[in-house]
Amino acid sequence: MEETNRQVPVTVLTGFLGAGKTTLLNRILTEQHGKKYAVIVNEFGEQGIDNDLVVDADEEVFEMNNGCICCTVRGDLIRILSGLMKRADKLDAIIVETTGLADPAPVAQTFFVDQDVANKTKLDAIVTVADAVHLSSQIEDHHEAEEQIAFGDVILLNKIDLVKDENIEVVTKRIRKINPFAKIIKTTKCGTPLKEILNLDAFSLKRILEVEPDFLESDHDHEHDDDVTSLSFVSDTPLDMEKFQNWFGKLLQTKGQDIMRTKGILNFKDENDRYVFQGVHMLMDASPMGKWPENKKRSSRLVFIGRNLDTMNLKEGFEACKSE
Amino acid sequence: MTTDLNQFPELDKTKFEQRGIQLEIGVPVTCAVSIGNNIAAGFGDGTVRIFSSREKHKTLKAHKGVILCMSRDGNNILTGGDDGYFLKISLNGEINEITNFGSRWVDHVAAYNGNLVCSSGKVVYYWDKNKKEPKSLNHDSTIGGLAFDAKGRRLAVSRYGGVTIWKKDYSNKWKSTKLDWKGSHNKVSFSPDGKYLVTSMQENVLRCWRLKDKLDFAMSGYGSKVKSFAFISDTSYLATSGAIDAICWPFDGEGPMGRKPICLSYIGNKQVTFIEPFPDEKAIFAGLSDGSVFLSQIENENNTIIIRSFTGSEVSAIAMTDDKSSIFIGDMNGNTLWTSIWDQ
Repeated sequence: MEETNRQVPVTVLTGFLGAGKTTLLNRILTEQHGKKYAVIVNEFGEQGIDNDLVVDADEEVFEMNNGCICCTVRGDLIRILSGLMKRADKLDAIIVETTGLADPAPVAQTFFVDQDVANKTKLDAIVTVADAVHLSSQIEDHHEAEEQIAFGDVILLNKIDLVKDENIEVVTKRIRKINPFAKIIKTTKCGTPLKEILNLDAFSLKRILEVEPDFLESDHDHEHDDDVTSLSFVSDTPLDMEKFQNWFGKLLQTKGQDIMRTKGILNFKDENDRYVFQGVHMLMDASPMGKWPENKKRSSRLVFIGRNLDTMNLKEGFEACKSE
Repeated sequence: MTTDLNQFPELDKTKFEQRGIQLEIGVPVTCAVSIGNNIAAGFGDGTVRIFSSREKHKTLKAHKGVILCMSRDGNNILTGGDDGYFLKISLNGEINEITNFGSRWVDHVAAYNGNLVCSSGKVVYYWDKNKKEPKSLNHDSTIGGLAFDAKGRRLAVSRYGGVTIWKKDYSNKWKSTKLDWKGSHNKVSFSPDGKYLVTSMQENVLRCWRLKDKLDFAMSGYGSKVKSFAFISDTSYLATSGAIDAICWPFDGEGPMGRKPICLSYIGNKQVTFIEPFPDEKAIFAGLSDGSVFLSQIENENNTIIIRSFTGSEVSAIAMTDDKSSIFIGDMNGNTLWTSIWDQ
């Protein structure tokens, strides 16, 4: 019975055109001997893929009728994942390759919204392949490139052999400004140990506790108002749970389209447990995750990635949730 | 043998299980249909098993992957698979390839009086029984379901944004009309009297159109997606899965608007996952998420009997033979029951 209840991990491979997604995919498939993978690709795939089980998908994004305008899901994924779950042979993992111009949010949201998908599979991580040569200009010209960086749990900064060291620094800084908690791996031809990109469990709340993201100092300077940036907050003063829920709930409801990802660990007044949450746009997964460790300072940490964050009075809102 | 079955001694088995044939095939049962007094069942490993009265069942290796859909075509069955094949299989085990779409899945199949239909992606292919080449009917999004009406004149195709109804006009040309409703529509069905069309949606809701004036309405309140529904053959009720009870909406008179459904329940709090009507009776078989199946009279809830007990895996197929003597039940772990309904 355990076998049938195991959720199959799904890795989402995203990245702009020509960044090296297919190279990474073929590397995964050739290096993981004896494992059974299903690969879901779009019909405009760039090169051949070397796997027994390749499923062609049309990226069909649609809105859920749940009154939430940014709640879009991938209808084709719901259909294909439920079909794959009827197979006789159990899959070790599923890899979804998105088109170069795809917004990763609907893929991630599919795992929050569809109960059958959530029961049988789990989103393992979003892996973004970025072209070190062209990333900076792609970010300027295409909001999709920026979104793919914003959503990544792991960012493979690829083709570094073609870029001078000082330029790698510039690109890395640009990535960090958009997404401070992604793990950045610098590669040539996507060469990285597979344990760095598979079975990361990046969307589990437990994992957020294990790998606490870098809660960097807020960085406010940017060129365009619609740039994707991140803001983070830390507080040692316990928060008032009711105040926080009111503020945060309303914030996601009204600004959820602009807020792409959120993560946090919260210290509530009169509560022994740590509260952990993570979200994609308006959808959120949150739960108490056991007591605070004896030797650790109790402090709340909160990260936002999105557009127009400086118009949301996040700092004031967060400050107002403090219990004293 | 799963551990769960071991925990249950012989005594707790229903009389149907005791006298029937139970198999543990270990591969999900994906579909089942009757062909006369036989049942054909499709499996996740591409096999079709044909169960006949008092005979051993026959196993056919039909597809290379999952059998995604199945429909009856006279004395044959049609199957579509994730191997891209659309097959016609006869009762004696003859397998004929109708077509194959390579890496594209065959998601849905249907048949009426020798005319065959399947869908792959956004296209429906229609084989007129007198023609060799299919007619392609194109849609803007992937097809969620297919259904003929009771007379085979109209073909409903559900998709994103609503349903397209195809019909041949007097000059034998295909004409379509659209019923629009935002969202993703999956399984689709005409009512047996042809007056209504129902779809189950990605959200936990059913959409219904009254076809004479295109009046549309929702049937909602479900705890999960409605994956299975069926009209009672005289269109008196629409029985649906998706809740802890089997929800039966009244469709007689002016239809279900403003009326309460009948909720048929069974001990425990398991979700209903599969509905199969008992032919010509106001009664249904309801399969649950824990593998159990009950038979209930819609207007007399006290008349409920347990056909199959707990297996630990959600019921994914139920089919009854045409003579109403025997029933087949299958679940996602591949536990099957093939049994006579009546006491000897």
